[in-house]
Amino acid sequence: MEIADLPICTSYRAKLLAAGYSSLASLSAADPPRLARGTSPARRTAHRAPPRRQTLPLDSPLRPPTPIAAALLACDEIARVGVDLNIEIPEAEDILKVAVCANKFKGADGPSSVLKGSQNAWDMLSDEQSRKHINTGSGDLNNILGGGIHCKEVTEIGGVPGIGKTQLGIQLAINVQIPVECGGLGGKAVYIDTEGSFMVERVYQIAEGCISDILEYFPHYQDKAPSGQEKLKPESFLADIYYFRICSYTEQIAVINYLEKFLGEHKDVRIVIIDSVTFHFRQDFDDMALRTRVLSGLSLKLMKLAKTYNLAVVLLNQVTTKFIEGSFQLTLALGDSWSHSCTNRLILYWNGNLRYAYLDKSPSLPAASAPYAVTGKGVRDATSSNCKRVRVM
Amino acid sequence: MRPAAATHPSNSSSHRQQEPRAANPLLLLPSSRAAKLSLGCPILDRLLSGGLPAASVTEIAGESASGKTQLCLQLALVAPLSPMSSSCLFLHSDLPFPLRRLRGLVPQSRPDLLDHVLVAAAHSTSDLLSLLSRAQHLLTHPNDSLRRLPIRLILLDSIASLFRADFDATPADLRRRSALFFRISAKLKELAHRHQCVVVVTNQVVDVVEGEAGNTVEWSSGRRVSPALGLAWANCVNTRLFLTRDADGPNGCSRRRMKVAFAPHLPERACEFAIRRDGVFGVEPSER
Repeated sequence: MEIADLPICTSYRAKLLAAGYSSLASLSAADPPRLARGTSPARRTAHRAPPRRQTLPLDSPLRPPTPIAAALLACDEIARVGVDLNIEIPEAEDILKVAVCANKFKGADGPSSVLKGSQNAWDMLSDEQSRKHINTGSGDLNNILGGGIHCKEVTEIGGVPGIGKTQLGIQLAINVQIPVECGGLGGKAVYIDTEGSFMVERVYQIAEGCISDILEYFPHYQDKAPSGQEKLKPESFLADIYYFRICSYTEQIAVINYLEKFLGEHKDVRIVIIDSVTFHFRQDFDDMALRTRVLSGLSLKLMKLAKTYNLAVVLLNQVTTKFIEGSFQLTLALGDSWSHSCTNRLILYWNGNLRYAYLDKSPSLPAASAPYAVTGKGVRDATSSNCKRVRVM
Repeated sequence: MRPAAATHPSNSSSHRQQEPRAANPLLLLPSSRAAKLSLGCPILDRLLSGGLPAASVTEIAGESASGKTQLCLQLALVAPLSPMSSSCLFLHSDLPFPLRRLRGLVPQSRPDLLDHVLVAAAHSTSDLLSLLSRAQHLLTHPNDSLRRLPIRLILLDSIASLFRADFDATPADLRRRSALFFRISAKLKELAHRHQCVVVVTNQVVDVVEGEAGNTVEWSSGRRVSPALGLAWANCVNTRLFLTRDADGPNGCSRRRMKVAFAPHLPERACEFAIRRDGVFGVEPSER
């Protein structure tokens, strides 16, 4: 986009052109005071930039100089340049705003944002809407979660022993690998096991269940993709889970610190599951304040990883009894301050003989609950055939 | 905090080995039956799809005389003969050690099986922790001169009796108690993982009073019971097996059931079993 097409006052447009701003890219590198003073980027880098009034390509090598260099250049320019835009700083700001907007709608990248690294809410919304979710295996569960487990967010899942936390964790590690053509993410998984409940034979079963479902919904998948023939095997699903077994809380801290490097090397990881985040933090910690600090440090680190590498972090938590108002009630472990550490919180509980999930905390979705079932194939919708809790052989 | 290798690039090769390494689950896929310890009965093995898993802690809960100790003794004698071919470390806190029952189970032709059962008494939680540290040493530095099979089975009978005394019902003591659960369980799980051991812990039951939410509840001998030590301990085991008994019928013979209360690799299911002179055996539904 050219300066000439910008929806601003024609006199400003002429002044901008006269001062050497010809493209949006050149404008985006300017800040209001400099713009008001009339120094142009073209002239600042005059020794290697094309001559004035010539249109620069959007991806021109112009970059905002470093602060010291900029100051030196500015002094130099004030001495050399006679052209004056003669506009006030607020007006310059308006021009820049319009320019940034125009840049966004054009979809041009480059040094588009005025503040480097910042993002406006419009971008974030469209980004979020286009983002894919990780299928939990149960449609009802996906519904209350708004499509599934969200990438770039930390989700905590808690429940009593035997409710299916680990099953859901394994299911997510498998489902994240559903190929893109079948509506999945086609990513890989990191599974951090602190309790030793990751049973490979079970993972194999769940992978087989997932494959049979894919082939049921996409019967032509195997014929369409010749490479799919070898891709859809439980073995390859297993091979794409990076598994860490942790035996103490120091190891847990070390692995989470190491994850940053690991994820940098494995960009296709889309989910990190910690099963469970709690176990090693319920022993040897006499100083509860220290425990809280260590844990919130970990959760901040995980949030950062989730944002940086565009992946979902799922933390499994245990349940403990707490003495509230004269009676014992069930709450998630690790205390109240920990409950601020996660973006989403899903609580799994028994309701009679049915397993239910309750969305306890979410920035965008209402609290809701839904039944689900753990079947031989993995986590699925609760139906009359697979909701029975006890099966007698 | 940065990973150690990044801050010391000069000797990164030595640090690289200390970095946690991701294991490929494919390589963890058990080599057929070696990773499961048979219970010595095909029906019970079918219930557990092959037997008790290695590298994992299994709890056997049940009221007194439900067959917990009998099952442990049977495991101790099956272990040397199974594909796992291992010795067994039997930690007992219920005194005295049931030697007579063990001798009753040993087949006449194989008195040497007793050589592979190592027995140690744990009188308190601190005893148990020090025993586990010594067990760790024993497992890491096996003494070849004794011509013993490697230890790959650890039995603890029972966890609940260690906690019967020493603890008041005050919040501070309860917290201390559950911290101990997690410490003992972490130690057991570490041994199980590092040496691919089968770990079995027995547990007693308590009557359910109202408000005992969240824990496993079963009917046994006409009582509503739940494994002892509460929800905190339930978080410490991977698999929970519940031995229950129907209320005594008119003819005095009651049905016993083994139920998978929860397990990461098994659905909830149950099967009947009987305790005979020569051990614990599953009963096909048609046989009764």
